[in-house]
Amino acid sequence: MRFRGIIALALCGFCGLLAGCHTNRANQKKLIEIIVPSQDNPFFRAEADAAAERARQLGYAVRVDSHGDDAYEQDNLIDVAIASNAAAIILDNAGADASISAVRRATRAGIACFLIDREIGASNIAKAQILADNDQGARLVAAEFARALDGRGDYAELLGKESDTNAQVRTKGFHAILDADKGMNLVSAQSANWSQSEAFQKTETILEAHATIRGIIAGNDTMAVGAVAAVKSAGLRGVTIVGFDGSPDALAAIKAGDLEATVLQPAVTIARLAVQEADQFLRTGTTGHAERQIIPCELVTAQNVDEFGVFEKKSD
Amino acid sequence: MKIESDPTIATDMAADRAGPGFAAKMFDVILRMRAVVALVLLVVLFSVSTSTFLTANNLTILAKHVAITAILAIGMTFVVLTGGIDLSVGSVAGLAGMVAGALLTRGLVFSGMQHPLYPGILTVVFVSLVVGALVGLLNGLLVVRFAVAPFIATLGTLYIARGAALLISHGATFPSLGGEAARHNTGFLLLGQATLFSVPLPVWIMIALAIVASVLASKTPFGRHVYAVGGNERAALLSGIRVGRVKLISYVISTVCAATVGLIIASQLEAAHPATGESFELNAIAAVVLGGTSLMGGRGSVLGSLAGAFVIGVLADGMVMLGISEFWQMVIKGVVIVLAVAVDQLQTKLQLRLARSH
Repeated sequence: MRFRGIIALALCGFCGLLAGCHTNRANQKKLIEIIVPSQDNPFFRAEADAAAERARQLGYAVRVDSHGDDAYEQDNLIDVAIASNAAAIILDNAGADASISAVRRATRAGIACFLIDREIGASNIAKAQILADNDQGARLVAAEFARALDGRGDYAELLGKESDTNAQVRTKGFHAILDADKGMNLVSAQSANWSQSEAFQKTETILEAHATIRGIIAGNDTMAVGAVAAVKSAGLRGVTIVGFDGSPDALAAIKAGDLEATVLQPAVTIARLAVQEADQFLRTGTTGHAERQIIPCELVTAQNVDEFGVFEKKSD
Repeated sequence: MKIESDPTIATDMAADRAGPGFAAKMFDVILRMRAVVALVLLVVLFSVSTSTFLTANNLTILAKHVAITAILAIGMTFVVLTGGIDLSVGSVAGLAGMVAGALLTRGLVFSGMQHPLYPGILTVVFVSLVVGALVGLLNGLLVVRFAVAPFIATLGTLYIARGAALLISHGATFPSLGGEAARHNTGFLLLGQATLFSVPLPVWIMIALAIVASVLASKTPFGRHVYAVGGNERAALLSGIRVGRVKLISYVISTVCAATVGLIIASQLEAAHPATGESFELNAIAAVVLGGTSLMGGRGSVLGSLAGAFVIGVLADGMVMLGISEFWQMVIKGVVIVLAVAVDQLQTKLQLRLARSH
C-alpha cells in the first residue's frame, strides 16, 4: 500500500509541474469544426477536404471529424466542439430528427452552425442549410435515362436506404418524369441501401427474373456501379444504367462507356460556400443569405464528363 | 481510486508483502493499477497539449460521455466475472430507446379505443428497463438451460434486439421525445439533460450504479458467488452455489444497465433512432478488460471497469480535441486495448512468480 501512495504522490507532483508550465497562448486562431458522416467515402471526403482547405485559407484553425451516421457519436463531437470553444461548425448531419438537439445545444453555446448536404427538421437554429437540389437532379437524370431508352422498354430501379430522406426525394423525382412516359415500364424496384455489393446481388437477381430489362436507374452512383458490374458479369450488352452523385467511380464508368449518365452533386461548391458564409457571419454577424439554400445538380454524360473533377466542375 | 480486493487478489497481496525485491513489487503495483496509471498519463498529456482540456466545462462533458461506456461496463463486469460475455448490450440500448420513443410519441393503442393511451414517464422508463431485462433473461436462459456458448447466445440476441428495434418503427426515427402537457408525459428529457449541483444526471446515475454494483460484487453473498462461478465453476457447483441462477442474474444486470444507457441517449438526443448503440458492446468490453477484469472470469472489479471506461472516454475526447485524424484514433485505441490485455498476461505471470518465490 505504501508504494501506491508514493506513486500517487509522484504523479500528482508531475501533474502540478506540467500544469504550472502550461501557458495559454494569446491570439489563437478561431476554430472551425467540420463534422461529416465518414472520411473513407469519396463524397464526404471531398466535402470535408474542400471545407477544411477554404477555412485554412481564410485563417481559421480547422478540425475534421466524422460521426459514422451515429447520432450519439455526433452528439459527443458537438460537445467536444463546445468545450473547445469552436467559433463555427460545418455539419453534414446524422439524421434530420436526431440531430436537432445537438445543433440547438451548439447554437445556444454561441457556436454558429452551418449544415451542408443534409437538412434537419427544424428552422431558425442553424445559420444556414445548404443542400443539393435532389429533386431537380433526379428529374434531370431520369429525363436523360428516358431519352437514352427512346422512351420505351422495361426498366428496374435501385432505391437507397428507405429511412433516408434523400432516397425518397430521388425516387419521387425519377417517377415524376418516368411515369409520365407511357412507354417506360417499371418491372422491379428494390432497395440496395446505397451499397455497391447489395446492388450487385439485387441486380443479378432482377436480371435473372426479368430478361427483358433495357435499363436500370439507381438512387446513387455506388449502387449504379454495382449494377454495372452485375450486368457485365451476366454478359449482357445494351443495358442502359444511370446513377446519382457524380462520384469518381461513376465518372470513370461513363468514360469507359459502362454508365450512361449521372448527376453531379456540387458537394465541393456547397462545402466552400458554407465556410465562406461562416466567415462572413463571424465577421459581420450575418451570412447575407436565407437559411435554406438549394444548389442545382449538373447532368454528366459522355459528352461533358471531362469537365468534371471530384464532386465539382473543374472551372469552379 | 482503489482497485477493490477480491479473494484471489487478497491472497496475492499476502504474497506481495512477504515477497522479494522492491522493484518487482513496485512493478506489480503499477501493473495492477494500470487503468488508473494510464488515465493519469492521458489526462496530463491532453492537459498540456490543449488549452481547453482541463476546464470545468470540458470535464463535465467528458464525465457525461464516460457515463455511457461506464454504465455498460459496470453491468458487463458481472457477466465477464462469471466467465461469460455479453455482445447484446449495444442492441439492447437501441431497443430500449425505441420502446421509450414508441410509448412517448405513439402511445399504446388497444382495439376498441378511440385515442391512444399515453403512459407517464415513470411507466415508460420502467417498461423500457423491463424489455432490457427480458433480453438479459433470454441470454441467461440460452447460456444456462441450453448450454449455448455466451459469445454465440449474445451474438444471436444482438441481431434479434437490433431487428426488433428496427421493426418498431420500420427503420424510422421517433422525433421530439419531449412529450406533451396534454398527454401528461413530459419530462423524459430530464433523464439525459438535467443537472444536479451542475453535474449532469447521467453522471450521477453512473456514480450510483458504480457504488451499488461495487457493494454487490464485494460485500454480498451474490458477489462472492459471481467470483466463485468465474474462478472455478465446478468447484462452485460442488460447494452448493446455484451457478445457473448466478449467471442468469448477471446477464439481467448487464442488459438492464444497457437499457438505462439507451434511455439516457434517447433523452440526450431528444429522439430515438433504431441504430443507436451499434458497436457499444466493444467499448464496454474494452473498458472491462482495461480495468483488469480477466475474460476468463473470476478476477476483476467494478471500479476497475469504471477506470477503464474513463480511459476509453478520455482517449476518445482528447484525441478529437487534439485534432488527430480519425484513422489514427482507431489505431491508437486498438494499441491501448491490446497493450492492456498483454499487460494482463504479464501481471498473471508476475504474480505466479511472486507467489512461488514466497
